[in-house]
Amino acid sequence: MLAELVDIAGTGLVMGVFYAMMAVGLSLIFGILKVVNFAHGEFFMIGAYAYTLIALRTGMSLGTALVTAVLVGAAVGVLTERLLLRPLYAGYVDWARIRHEYMIIVTFGLSLFLMNFVSQFIGPYSVKGPDLVARSRVEIGPIMMSGHRFAAFLIGSGFLAASLAALRFSFWGKQIQAVAQNRLGASLAGIDPARVSSIVFGLSGALAGLSGALLAPIFHAEPQVGVLPSVKSYVVVVLGGMGSVAGSVIGGLIVGILENFGAIYVSYAYRDVFGFIILMAVLLLRPHGLFGERARPV
Amino acid sequence: MMQKARDGATDARYDFTGDERPHPLTVSFGFLLFVAVLPLLVKSPYWLGVVIVAMYFAMLAAAWNLLSGYVGQISLAPAAFAMLGGYTSGLLWHHLGIAPLIGIGSAVVVTALLGLFLGRITFKLSGPYFTLTTLGFAEISRLIMANSLKWTRGDLGLHLPPLLSNRVHTYYLFIIVLALVQLGLYGLLRSRAGLFLQAIRDDEIAAAGRGVDVVRWKTIAFALSSAICGLGGALYVHFSQLASPEMGLILQSGLVLSMVVVGGLGTLVGPLVGAFIVQVSSEMLRMVGVRHMLVFALLVIIIGRFMRHGLWGAAEQWIVARRRRRRMAARGMAPHGKEGAGGWVP
Repeated sequence: MLAELVDIAGTGLVMGVFYAMMAVGLSLIFGILKVVNFAHGEFFMIGAYAYTLIALRTGMSLGTALVTAVLVGAAVGVLTERLLLRPLYAGYVDWARIRHEYMIIVTFGLSLFLMNFVSQFIGPYSVKGPDLVARSRVEIGPIMMSGHRFAAFLIGSGFLAASLAALRFSFWGKQIQAVAQNRLGASLAGIDPARVSSIVFGLSGALAGLSGALLAPIFHAEPQVGVLPSVKSYVVVVLGGMGSVAGSVIGGLIVGILENFGAIYVSYAYRDVFGFIILMAVLLLRPHGLFGERARPV
Repeated sequence: MMQKARDGATDARYDFTGDERPHPLTVSFGFLLFVAVLPLLVKSPYWLGVVIVAMYFAMLAAAWNLLSGYVGQISLAPAAFAMLGGYTSGLLWHHLGIAPLIGIGSAVVVTALLGLFLGRITFKLSGPYFTLTTLGFAEISRLIMANSLKWTRGDLGLHLPPLLSNRVHTYYLFIIVLALVQLGLYGLLRSRAGLFLQAIRDDEIAAAGRGVDVVRWKTIAFALSSAICGLGGALYVHFSQLASPEMGLILQSGLVLSMVVVGGLGTLVGPLVGAFIVQVSSEMLRMVGVRHMLVFALLVIIIGRFMRHGLWGAAEQWIVARRRRRRMAARGMAPHGKEGAGGWVP
């Protein structure tokens, strides 16, 4: 019984790492620009396609494909910020006066555009990404999983940990923290908020692209593969607290584990519904999430 | 100058006053009159069907525009509410044999209550919570409809009886309902409540400071918007005789959003015109084999970025400029800046 519980929790934890990777990127963007990026799931989708197509069509090594997926994700993130979002906030002095509707509309439009672009030019069918390791089963104590899932878990959590360390200790990371705390103050201290926004979008795109690439053998690359992971990561950022990076990591792990328990003990068909129940519960009981700033009523 | 215009929080409004703009009801009803004579010219039941679908989307677009164009709250669930409205009527008929007319009425009530509930828990918080919750709600309600095989037959959908057996009659029913929706929205926006809603859009804190109960009015607007979507969805399922989870896809909500943005966010005529333009041209794009959402998503990005009042906003600006030039010329004056304030028209 205990072994079974540990197994379920472990498998959920592995998914949780990917939710956390998505949610951290989303949370960073929210911290800097106070907008939710609705094209985040499509960064994931692009990562999945980049990895799969490069590995299958060009015959390059899987490592190269993985690195390319990260770079492509980062590039898409930076381009999104430069071309679409920066013009929307560039002229404003007072951040409270920005019309957030248009930021939502533009990112959501981008999401629809990317989905349909891929569907038109690559095809609406799904492509399975190649496994990173051939070994079919890994056992750690009572936890059993496929070799690929284990390798993906190691790479994903390694990249996530490195990003978190960079955010906390590196020079750029400190700049990001400063802009998230106070945009005007940071610019007075000589930090360029526009450049920091680009860096954040790049990092966020890289995280989403990597999680897409790592999950490509499990979820299969298809135009709409990003929708569910992005919806999950929205649940995670609300649970963890808007804009809190630590909250996103812990929230991601919690959602991954709870979902897996729900799928096994309650209903497999409704496994994706549990995230929404968590979202409702958080909004009703603790609206500022686990670690967020208190969400102020208007 | 540019800086000033942007900082003034007024950039969603026009820089001219109401009396020079064509009256939105005249334009709406003129347009619907044109749609009403179409069956005399177009005999093909296929294209009549396309126009009926366009009118269904026009209801959704009008409802979505009430919330996002006039209150500034973006919902990503209009199609999901339409699906839920359709399933309310569909399930009532399928399991209890309740007549479609009563089913449509219950659909309005059910979707309004759902909107009220979601609004109550999300509008208490400022920030992006509302949009996120509607997205989650849309995806989850679709999954529930697709997975509850025992009740909804899943992806197969529910087969339903038509409300009116004649396609042309259905066509006129849709026109009448759409005209009533436009009239109701106009009345609402001209009323005191309409001013509250737009005050919230322009500056939430200032509105609250002047005594507008922000949470309450946002919730009411959302419930109303959801009810219109539910009504549209319930009418639609009895036209297509099928309620399926496909109706609630995020892509469908994206289509509604692109109709409003292309037509003109925050104008009464924009969503109506946008729905027809997008729906009819997507039928044409389908014939040449281009995914219609590819084109419209690109348009949404471009218009959201450069032309915030959409096509109708641009047309209106052109009409006003022309009228102003003519009047000035008649008085023998050179045209200059703004003229005195008239009654504001939504």
